Amino acid sequence: MSHILLEGVVKSYGSARILDNCTLSVARGEVMTLLGPSGCGKTTLLRTLAGFVTPEKGRIVVGGTEISHLAPNHRSVGYVFQNYALFPHLTVAQNVAYGLKVRRRPASEITKRVGDALELVALEGLGERYPAQLSGGQQQRVAIARVLVLEPEVLLLDEPFNALDAKLRLTMQVELRKLIDRVGITSIFVTHDQSEAMMLSDKVAVMRAGQIEQVATPLDIYDQPVNDYVAGFIGRANVLAVEVRGGIVTAAAQVTTTRGDGPARLIVRPENLAFSDVATPWSGEVFFASAQGPTIEYEIDTGQTQPLRLVVQRKAGQYPLATGTTVNVGIVDPAGCIVIGSAASV
Amino acid sequence: MSDHTLSGRAALPAVVRRMLHGGGLWPALPAVIFLVIFLVLPMVTLLAFGFVTIERGRIVGETLTLQHLQSALQDTLIWRLTWRSFYVAVISTVLSLVLAYPVAYLFSQTRGIWRMLILVAVISPLLTSALVRAYAWLVILGGRRGLLNQTLLNLGLIDQPLRLLNTDWAVIIGMTQIHLPFMILPLLAVLSGRDRRLEEAACNLGAGQVRTFFSVVVPMSIPAIFAGLALVFAVSYTNFIVPQLLGGGSYATLAVQVYEQTVVVLDWTRGAVLATILLSSCFVFVYLIVAAGSRLSRWTERMS
Repeated sequence: MSHILLEGVVKSYGSARILDNCTLSVARGEVMTLLGPSGCGKTTLLRTLAGFVTPEKGRIVVGGTEISHLAPNHRSVGYVFQNYALFPHLTVAQNVAYGLKVRRRPASEITKRVGDALELVALEGLGERYPAQLSGGQQQRVAIARVLVLEPEVLLLDEPFNALDAKLRLTMQVELRKLIDRVGITSIFVTHDQSEAMMLSDKVAVMRAGQIEQVATPLDIYDQPVNDYVAGFIGRANVLAVEVRGGIVTAAAQVTTTRGDGPARLIVRPENLAFSDVATPWSGEVFFASAQGPTIEYEIDTGQTQPLRLVVQRKAGQYPLATGTTVNVGIVDPAGCIVIGSAASV
Repeated sequence: MSDHTLSGRAALPAVVRRMLHGGGLWPALPAVIFLVIFLVLPMVTLLAFGFVTIERGRIVGETLTLQHLQSALQDTLIWRLTWRSFYVAVISTVLSLVLAYPVAYLFSQTRGIWRMLILVAVISPLLTSALVRAYAWLVILGGRRGLLNQTLLNLGLIDQPLRLLNTDWAVIIGMTQIHLPFMILPLLAVLSGRDRRLEEAACNLGAGQVRTFFSVVVPMSIPAIFAGLALVFAVSYTNFIVPQLLGGGSYATLAVQVYEQTVVVLDWTRGAVLATILLSSCFVFVYLIVAAGSRLSRWTERMS
């Protein structure tokens, strides 16, 4: 049974439809990521759950109770803001105690629970500091402790790593996932960073223009994207215009499909392509090459609109092929390719 | 740039180079010179008059004396006038805050044309002089036939005309209205530029609107509140036009007394002594307000 259920949520600002019939279900204890480019409505969807945005249509159910018409301050939903929104005039301990004070808990209980919450995020001893005296990573942990201390049903995080530098971001992502597993709280992240989504989440919901395109585990989305947009958003993908004839893709005869005859598109991941000694349908010149250490990435100009992207494993001492070298490119695993309808038929 | 000009620059004295560079206090120099000539020097001269004896427009005696200051401080009338200046200013300042905050808050919550209208309404009184506005209050509050009494009598809300003119209340009402923009403007700037996510955060943590307002919005605006308090207190405490016009002939505050001693009685020494008391006490009160404000907003010091 789903712990969080969003059903047919619609929100418009003027004539712009920000959320277009969004339906999403998150299981208890699951970590879901809303992934999409900026302006796709992912933050609005999160704010709808917190009650900051009132949708025109649709239902929001948390833990079996409909909360669609509940005021934001009566929802058991913890929200971590993009820049944390810590109260600058309160100390760390006062920030964490805020929600408990609002709920009129006894002072002794507040002290204890604030202490426990700060310990949970490894900030014990920093309770008397002001937010401005903390590093970005510490501020993020205060923001998380501030909502977790209230033991909410759900934890919502709006691009929580945006304000951190790249190196710290990686550490904090791992730490946060561990923390969420320890607490066991149902969580929804918002991010535009696909590697963050892969690392943090049990499930990813890819959004575009107010609609949820696909919801699945990160690896399922990677292996079975429903369309080229999703394929391009999680990992990189070559999207090739092909023809289907009797269950076989014309340009790559090994790839079979249940699709009917007609134009279609073939999605091939860069690592599913390799150089071939025999002639293949795709031959061309090395257009660009960059060595990444463990891998080498190539762009091969085959005369089509987009160059083919290709990633090969690199052995020690191996250097990329020179630009202009003529190569044949073939598919490694035909089962790893996806055939989808052509742009016109989608 | 060639080596020649570089070495030419280096040959200039350090002071000149710093001036050309434009750093430090140098950009403020024109304003500082202006203020020294037209504000500090006249003020020092004026205050100095309180420490010499003047007879028939000439300074008598060679040495400075504290005698005039002492006699003024022993005069109970002066203490009464200071006390009146003080409480009238305090009541008017607090009233200004109470009236200004909702206006500034409303401004921050509105958009577009309403915002524009509020701003115009706040600023337009500043286009007329305080004297004109004080006279306007004279018409409104004045006597039996005043606008206010006429209206209240006609509405049947009162049987007898209220005696407002020539009381503390007339002075307080006039001052509050005239000085209101000085309170609204700093609040307006801070409240409309505030971070709304803090209120959403408070709301998410369970706080209702009232609690959010008093625990987040008000504390965050403390620097502006105290800037407004200091500003309005200073202008109210030293204002002499409003008490003179709306307080009537027998009504006086310390500032009114300074004016009368200097312009009417022509006792410049006494006027200067009273001005010294007025300015120095005003300075102390403003300092206390500012100190209280920065104590209550210590967290801002740590903001990066």
